[in-house]
Amino acid sequence: MSFSRSIWKIALAACAAASIAQAKAQGTPAPNVAIVRGTVTDSSSHAPVPGAQVVAVGTTRGALTDTAGEYTLRVPPGTLTIRVQRIGYAPSERTVTAALDGTTTADFVLRPVSTVLSEVVVTGYGTQNRAQVTGAVTQVAGQEVQNQPVAGVDAALQGKAAGVQVTQNSGEPGTGISVRVRGAASLSASNQPLYVVDGIPIANDPLAQQLFPAGSEAPTAITGLDPNEIESITVLKDAASAAIYGSRASNGVVMITTKRGLAGKAKFSVDLSTGIQNAATKLKLMDATQYVTYMNEGAINDGDGIQFFAGIDDATSTDWQDAIFRTGPVQNLHMGVSGGSETLRYNVAGSFFKQTGIVLGSAYNRANLRVNVDYDATPKFSLKTSIGLAREHNDRIEGNNSNDGIVTNAIGQPAVYHVRNPDGSFTSTADTTPSNNSEVYSNPVAIGTYDRLPDVTDHILGNLEGNYIFSPHLTLTGSAGVDILHDNENQWRSPLVVGNYAFGAHGVAQTTFDNTNHYLLQSYLTYQGGSDEGSALTVVGGGSIEYNTENSSFLRGEGFSSPEFQYVGSATNLVDFGGIPTANNLESFFGRANYSYKNRYLLQATMRADGSSRFGVNNRWGYFPAVSAGWVISDEPFMGNFGNRFGQLKLRGSFGKTGNQSIPNFAALATYGSANYGSTPGIAPLAFANPNLKWESTKEWDGGLDWYPFGGRISIIADYYHKLTSDLLTRRELPCTIGYCSFFDNIGNVVNRGFEFGLNTVNFKPAARGGFSWNTDFNISFNHNEVTKLNADQPVAGDNYRDISRAAVGQPIGEFYVLHFEGVDPATGDALYSDDRINAGSPQPKWFGGLGNTFGYKNFELRGFLEFSHGAKVFNLMRIFADDGGYSYDNKFAYAMNRWQNPGDLTDEPRASFDGTSGGREISDRFIEDGSYLRIQEITLSYRLPAGLFGARGLTNAKLYVSGHNLHNFTKYTGYDPDVNSNGTSNIDLGTDYYAYPRARTFTLGISGDF
Amino acid sequence: MRNRTLMPALLLAIVAGCNGPLDVKSKNTIPTETAISDSTSARAAVAGMYHGLQSLSSYGSDIPEVGDLSADNAEFSGTSTSYGEIDDNQISAFNSAVFDIWSQAYANINSANEILDKLGTLTDLDPATRDELQGEAYFVRALMYHDLVKYFGDVPIRLHPTTDPNAGSTITRSPVSAVYDQILLDLDSAASRISDSSSTTTASGGAVRALRARVLFYRGDYAGAEAEAHAVETDFGYDLAPNYSDLFSTTGNATPEDIFKVIATVHADQQSFLSYDYFAKAVGGTYLLRPTNDIMAAYQPGFDYDEDDPSDWHPTDLRGEWNIQFAGSRKYGAKYRSVTGTENFPVLRLGEIILIRAEALARLNQLPQAVSELNLIQTRANAPIFTLGSHTQQEVIDAIVAERRLELAFEGDRWSDLVRLGIAADVMGIDASQTLYPIPQAEIDVTPGLTQNPGY
Repeated sequence: MSFSRSIWKIALAACAAASIAQAKAQGTPAPNVAIVRGTVTDSSSHAPVPGAQVVAVGTTRGALTDTAGEYTLRVPPGTLTIRVQRIGYAPSERTVTAALDGTTTADFVLRPVSTVLSEVVVTGYGTQNRAQVTGAVTQVAGQEVQNQPVAGVDAALQGKAAGVQVTQNSGEPGTGISVRVRGAASLSASNQPLYVVDGIPIANDPLAQQLFPAGSEAPTAITGLDPNEIESITVLKDAASAAIYGSRASNGVVMITTKRGLAGKAKFSVDLSTGIQNAATKLKLMDATQYVTYMNEGAINDGDGIQFFAGIDDATSTDWQDAIFRTGPVQNLHMGVSGGSETLRYNVAGSFFKQTGIVLGSAYNRANLRVNVDYDATPKFSLKTSIGLAREHNDRIEGNNSNDGIVTNAIGQPAVYHVRNPDGSFTSTADTTPSNNSEVYSNPVAIGTYDRLPDVTDHILGNLEGNYIFSPHLTLTGSAGVDILHDNENQWRSPLVVGNYAFGAHGVAQTTFDNTNHYLLQSYLTYQGGSDEGSALTVVGGGSIEYNTENSSFLRGEGFSSPEFQYVGSATNLVDFGGIPTANNLESFFGRANYSYKNRYLLQATMRADGSSRFGVNNRWGYFPAVSAGWVISDEPFMGNFGNRFGQLKLRGSFGKTGNQSIPNFAALATYGSANYGSTPGIAPLAFANPNLKWESTKEWDGGLDWYPFGGRISIIADYYHKLTSDLLTRRELPCTIGYCSFFDNIGNVVNRGFEFGLNTVNFKPAARGGFSWNTDFNISFNHNEVTKLNADQPVAGDNYRDISRAAVGQPIGEFYVLHFEGVDPATGDALYSDDRINAGSPQPKWFGGLGNTFGYKNFELRGFLEFSHGAKVFNLMRIFADDGGYSYDNKFAYAMNRWQNPGDLTDEPRASFDGTSGGREISDRFIEDGSYLRIQEITLSYRLPAGLFGARGLTNAKLYVSGHNLHNFTKYTGYDPDVNSNGTSNIDLGTDYYAYPRARTFTLGISGDF
Repeated sequence: MRNRTLMPALLLAIVAGCNGPLDVKSKNTIPTETAISDSTSARAAVAGMYHGLQSLSSYGSDIPEVGDLSADNAEFSGTSTSYGEIDDNQISAFNSAVFDIWSQAYANINSANEILDKLGTLTDLDPATRDELQGEAYFVRALMYHDLVKYFGDVPIRLHPTTDPNAGSTITRSPVSAVYDQILLDLDSAASRISDSSSTTTASGGAVRALRARVLFYRGDYAGAEAEAHAVETDFGYDLAPNYSDLFSTTGNATPEDIFKVIATVHADQQSFLSYDYFAKAVGGTYLLRPTNDIMAAYQPGFDYDEDDPSDWHPTDLRGEWNIQFAGSRKYGAKYRSVTGTENFPVLRLGEIILIRAEALARLNQLPQAVSELNLIQTRANAPIFTLGSHTQQEVIDAIVAERRLELAFEGDRWSDLVRLGIAADVMGIDASQTLYPIPQAEIDVTPGLTQNPGY
């Protein structure tokens, strides 16, 4: 293959270059040292600027200013460019001549600018100053996602970034989060963004979970990362920014950078918090008396005998939700030490996060260790390692569509049953009281007490990067990265839960091991040049190769002599087993050029070529070009004094192409699989071929502006985008009569277009230190999603019950398609429906975003964060049983008591109907609810302890804080929380609530500081 | 010197470049083109075809279950709505169980078609083996088409595999008579190729004849059915199991009555769910479906489940005693007793063939012979011996049909019997159009030539 040969050539060229450099380095005598030192001050307050980064351009040498704003750099003698940058200030550069063995003074005065304008944005294979950015990129500072009582970074991102929609599939600790950058585009391939941690793209396919295939609870790749380790998160949103990651970029790219050490005395930091959580809401369900009344009325309405004895069966009423809910503690400890010399800097941190779930039986623990080291071996050559280790131990509970779901059964179990018998044993549906014949659900408290479903993952994320600076203009970077995930799931279904399968089978134990390994090698050259006329050019080019392998094994054993045995090794029968080795590889070449003239005209072009083993032999390679441009119009002479009066204004425009390759390995092939008959080994047809299978491709236009009025006190970033995704990777349906019901094909188009707006304002700037300050961050996103083409324009249904969720041409993905409820006939109490199904609403919000306010006064800081979403519909799928008129024996929502009872009654609740004759159990938009909400996501009050409280060498930057999360959610939705997705990994089945684990409300108390 | 550190990474990149990393081979699947390439893989493909019959959408649970659920033998008592619809005879074209039955039957037919086509071109296969294996494929294809025609009426006939994803554009339904013609053609092809006479878990000569008897019987060719059934009774050494309960063994043990059983094992992809679905929760099942009050009264005249005490349930009919039991106050189907799913499912057994012959004889008005066949079954069941006396032909037929229900209860035959006899609408109190299942809507969506059955 010619591309294999070209990788040869590039690698060889890189080798040769490095060898020459090495020879040169060896031939030069070790240079003597020169010293550059100086002070950095603020141009308006003339105060020293601590923590500013000072670097000698073209060398590995750098330092930070101390609290007095002073720095010292040891550099090779000669003429050097010294650059100083600090967030909140415009960067500054000057040329100095450092004399051998002498000391040169270089002081800097920095001009304050908007925080946003000065931030350094991670762009993939390099960084850019915000002022130079020409694409649509959002940055979230690490501190924004820290100290949140949620396990994952992705959950903490909710509402923080324009254009990034985060859905918590369920409230279960440590489990599935859906992140959508600028809308979902794919029907079958993954819609999760690509995560790149310290330059290593990590495996972003849903983690294989054998025991937990249901969707919403599958953990995401990123849950193992401790938010406290994160320096910054950059989201590459438009295709032009993301195209550098080519075939994996069409869902956006989330670049995560972890904290690194800075030269200086060892600094110890600690952050300790503890809190309690409880269920934020409870469903209003029927009590025993209401249930008995309702069920009997339904039976009588339909001419059946009564089902329960009033006064006997409802003598006591059980609140099953109270029986499974509890107050759960959450604790977080993070400790770190960082520092180092000018040439060897380190950041070592460890943390422990422990969360007891609010539902019986669930818990999540995570331990992290991070070692980031920077070593400047010579002025030309540096090495850095970024190594993160994480262990997660997640005690999950079965949920959703399981007869052993704890939340499911607590909602479904009628209040007429009791938790325990008079003798203390758990009741079960095998019991014969009360008097009816309904065996429906196992006792959820017994399940929570006896069953176990732990998941233990070990995650190793490591990267070794070397940089060789050939000249101030040319740097070679090579890196090797690993992303290794070992996952061990166990399940114990106890025979003590009477009435379930394990009871009959005398216990069921399952165990799985899954090892996912991702290795990456990449190297690239960076050229930075410019001219005295004010033009600057940066070019990056290189290649990479990535190997992905996954091996899993699975065992299921049944029949245990004692419930004390809980591991498959003690089983009587090994009833099921499996193991899947699978692999896919990706070869890539990439390049990017940035040109700017007078910092006023900015141009960027990128290109990536990706070859993936996943695709058909006819379509192995994809090419992903992109261009973008920026124009700082406020700096044009013809704008006169505009810039000074109204602030800097930059106009941006971009176009690019990206891809999506997230489909199963070997999906293009026609295959036979193992199919044994008794003990005779067998094979049977498995999959239908598609040799033309290829990338899903996205073409995206983006136009935007960055505006920083009032001297940068306000920053406005706004974008409009139009994104067309075509050749959708789809499981196209086949006539089952040919032996296969579907295969993977590229069919269909989806358009996402929308508007994003981000605003940061400094409303009150303190006149003096300790004065009143008030900052506001606000973002809002509008996205319109529409399927524009499908195979033969036939709608594609999801897996949801009765095809209620589907992708149809002209509608958004996941549009609900059900009968329209036209009300209750006042004469008969029957539900009335349209003759045909209608498009009954979209699970995607019309707009969503977040609003944060931070107030400071003296040592106090008050922070509040609101998160909101408007216009999404939620299918409350629980109602197909919990509001079905009494056709099932499930407990009902209390509002079903507003039922029609007598002719002339006007109500929206059909009459009770034991045989379903009222039509109340029809699937219709009666069960589709408004999912709009406004959530008080966080209120934190913190107090900065006075310096020197514990002596001069004691705690500094110490802060005490108290914080509440998910304090209240304003919504009309009748389930636990409208921010829900019970089919988390499904692309079409969105916004359905099928007994999702409820969300917690959390109060925490914490202290953090350095010493 | 220190920048040598870069070298290993670059060298690795170089090495990686030569290995053709984009050609990754799967280790748990094999390419279809080369899957069947010698006698070993040909035998494996035949085993794989039987594996398809073990599916939960085939004889692993759905086919036997819906046959009683649609009829008056079983009723729905769980939470699966697709089964609820089948119980109510109000099946939606979106019903997932119906879709699964349809698609699994055609997947099994495709397995058979693959074998029939590919074995024809294999060179290193001796003719006897080829005949034997192809004969088994013909048998399975005939079995599947008969199940399909019983539930759906007119169905598409597929006799060859395809690699064309647009094949649906030319697929249409063939009339019931054409499907029957094809089934009989396949059975003739099977009969002329299969020499095995002893296996009861794969197709044997006896199984082919027994299926032929059933097919002719359902088609109304009573003379043909009688002749085939007679041959099965006399030519293959089958015998009724001494006890009815012997037929349903948790370990899948063989009885002389077995003609064709589908193997079930503890392994998840070979497990039967019949016991798990019928058993009450107190004995470890899901109680997805349960016997009707009506069939209880048929086994024990006068027994009223809603009024009587569980201790009053003691039918003298041994089949009733075996098939229905109580867990506390709850009735449940106890025919299959391996909750771990290890009970081989009897697709064809001598008991059914005797009843086919009895009814065929009665319809041919050979009443004494019919009654003597019937009483073979009655005797074993400890059920009242039928005395011909002055009974009319219709009375004899009715008696055989009634006994057929009791003998074959929970084996999936009742619904097809009601439809065959033209009494489904009357017995179930439903519209005549509900006697055929709907063609799955998803199938119609991709096969424009498929028409829906009336009433859906």
